[in-house]
Amino acid sequence: MLHSSKSLRIATILAVLSLLISACVTAAPAPAGGDQPASSGDAAAGGSWWAQAAAPYKGVTIRGVSENTPPSNFVKDVLAKQFTEETGIVVEFETTSWDQMYDKAIKDMEANTGIYDFVYIEQDIIYSYLAQDYLVNISQSLADNAAIKSADFDESKFNSFIDYFKNADGDVFGIPMEAFIKVYFYRTDLFGDAAIQASFKEKYGYDLAPATTFEQYRDIAEFFTQYGKDNNLELWGTTVQGSTGHPASTYELIESIFPTCGIYNWGINLETFKASEAAGGTLNSQTAKDCFAFWYDLVQFAPPEALNSTWSEVGATFAAGRAAQGWVYAENVGWIATDEAQSKVVGKVGVTLPPVAEGVMAAAEADEGYIGYYDGGAFGIPHSSKNKEAALLFMQYIGQESVQPDWALAGGRIVMNSTFDDPKVLEQDAKVSGYYTLLKEKGNLFAGAPPFPFHGQVRETLDGFIHKALAGEITTADALDQAAAAVDQQLIDLGYAK
Amino acid sequence: MRSTRLPWLLLSPTLIILVITGLLPFFYVLYVGFHDWNIFSATGEMSYSGANNYRKLVFDQDFLDSLWATIQFTVWAVASEMVLGFFLANTLLQDFRGKAFFRMIHSLPLMVAPIAVGAIWRLLNIPGFGPVPYYLDQWFGFEYQMGAYRSHAFITTVLMDIWHWTPFVTLTLLAGLTAIPREPLEQAMVDGANRWQVFRHLTIPMMMPVLLTTLFIRIMDALRVVDEVFMLTGGGPGTATRYIGIHIYRVIFPKTEYGYGSAMSLLTLYFTVVLCWLLFIAMASVGKQKE
Repeated sequence: MLHSSKSLRIATILAVLSLLISACVTAAPAPAGGDQPASSGDAAAGGSWWAQAAAPYKGVTIRGVSENTPPSNFVKDVLAKQFTEETGIVVEFETTSWDQMYDKAIKDMEANTGIYDFVYIEQDIIYSYLAQDYLVNISQSLADNAAIKSADFDESKFNSFIDYFKNADGDVFGIPMEAFIKVYFYRTDLFGDAAIQASFKEKYGYDLAPATTFEQYRDIAEFFTQYGKDNNLELWGTTVQGSTGHPASTYELIESIFPTCGIYNWGINLETFKASEAAGGTLNSQTAKDCFAFWYDLVQFAPPEALNSTWSEVGATFAAGRAAQGWVYAENVGWIATDEAQSKVVGKVGVTLPPVAEGVMAAAEADEGYIGYYDGGAFGIPHSSKNKEAALLFMQYIGQESVQPDWALAGGRIVMNSTFDDPKVLEQDAKVSGYYTLLKEKGNLFAGAPPFPFHGQVRETLDGFIHKALAGEITTADALDQAAAAVDQQLIDLGYAK
Repeated sequence: MRSTRLPWLLLSPTLIILVITGLLPFFYVLYVGFHDWNIFSATGEMSYSGANNYRKLVFDQDFLDSLWATIQFTVWAVASEMVLGFFLANTLLQDFRGKAFFRMIHSLPLMVAPIAVGAIWRLLNIPGFGPVPYYLDQWFGFEYQMGAYRSHAFITTVLMDIWHWTPFVTLTLLAGLTAIPREPLEQAMVDGANRWQVFRHLTIPMMMPVLLTTLFIRIMDALRVVDEVFMLTGGGPGTATRYIGIHIYRVIFPKTEYGYGSAMSLLTLYFTVVLCWLLFIAMASVGKQKE
């Protein structure tokens, strides 16, 4: 009896104490009514706007999937944690391989299982996703739900890359999280070395400088491969993203190399959806064949890992100082040019426009063509998501102007014009050989993937022929002839060919 | 009455699970296999196509090449594993110094997930980074390039499979060898039979059930190999190591050809069952002849 009365007293004291503590730290008053969204700076005492808007979803877990890249890892390691601290919404963000990311996201959206609340949408797949109506209309959802519309999120602050994620009515279906161009990297220490310059000029009869033509590019590749051999260095003339068992090689050819030769839209005629020259396409045109032959010829001047290299290995190859030049996705520029823990070429990286065939630059400047791939992606919310409101809050959180500069430093990506002028970005711009300036001033010369709803299907078909050619099983010309015929047939089978 | 219902009642949870996870997906794949269905086609709809998918498969050179590559892979890998496994099991039957340590080390690959095995072998074999190409070049002047040469990639996948699965064969056969009664073997030795005669006329026949079981398990595993090879070569160079599992994956997932891929899966299943059945008949007839 004595024991139970003592317990009762302790329980009462604890209960009173709990009530007192709760009263002291109770949530801030509900946000003021009205439809006008408040900025995070307007938050009433006791919690930010994000905390208030997220209050109904506190404790909810949202799940996302993306490719394991520097920009995605920044979201996982920094932004997701900040968001959770501020809102109480838990973000489980899975960063995996490129193939697995698509596999998981598409299966989830197709089967309507609702595992993921936000998914990475690469620019080139958006047309397929929109055609299948996989994605939530973010503009419309925010307009319909003023309580979770942040004043710090403004679609108009994004640069033109956001246009890729809009439908015909201008509604946004994806919040850009990365945008970068695939550019020409070169080693400034090698290109600037007086002895090397003299040796090069003696052999080729002109000054060593970043290539502006294919002939120059090949000369430089040949020269540095020989230079590496002569000096017993682990150095080759160029990178080649030439994996013979991964789509990366197809992408390098059709999205980065072909445009420099004037072959656009993968060689597929956008009016007839045919690829073969006889049917109005350019995939097996002589220009395309010459272009493929040029690229294939570079394999002999590339490091031995080239035929096993995807985009990740190309970045690693350049960072390891094994190549004098190459086409490299600039999402890697930040760590390659500045992170001594990961890169051997810090302070030695030059970035400029890739070499192009005659007339291609003029066409790009006149907006009648492009010289390379403007890559990037966004996060979108699948219709199958079970936590759309919480995901919408997260989309806006990562779409704030204030989070962009640090993200740019970590991932070499810029999706808002204002980011270019941020002091931190300007400071890093000098370390990355003016890449950000190049992106700002010349980004318009690059383009995203063509608007194909059959992107993955045609690319998979192309893979087989390009891999066989790279492995030397068929000639590059035969590969394109066979590929064009196969793509034509596939587009008939899929019901797109006209 | 009660006695006949009770066993079914007790079995019912298992049967329900089997129907849901085994039979229903099988019949669904069978159904889809008779349709044209690509979610990224202009219509995105499923349309009945009769046996067209199966007809197309017979003339699909990529499919046939993939099937042939898979058979080659299976023959080389499984035959090597059986021979090596039998030899190792016999060795482990003897007592020698460090036996326990060797058995532990030898069994370690079994504990590694296939995808990790693929990753490890990729890191070992990538030219430019991996130690295998480096030392082959340094010691023998041999240019090893699994990204460029079909034979290099093929051999590497076979070696990887042998490394991964020989321990399984060894342990299974070791269990079988341990269970063999010693008396007939000792009696044969007393009667003047040499080691080879004992092995050929006594050990092998007595081990036949274990050998057959192990062989079939390994054949079926090898025929459906995907993850290790996908990680190591991605099916390349070209289509050199695009074994049937990888081929079906590429048709069904990146190409989203669900109907055609389902037909391909079923034909492959049919092929596997027929192959195993033929093998079983052949081996059983050899056994009867001996009797």
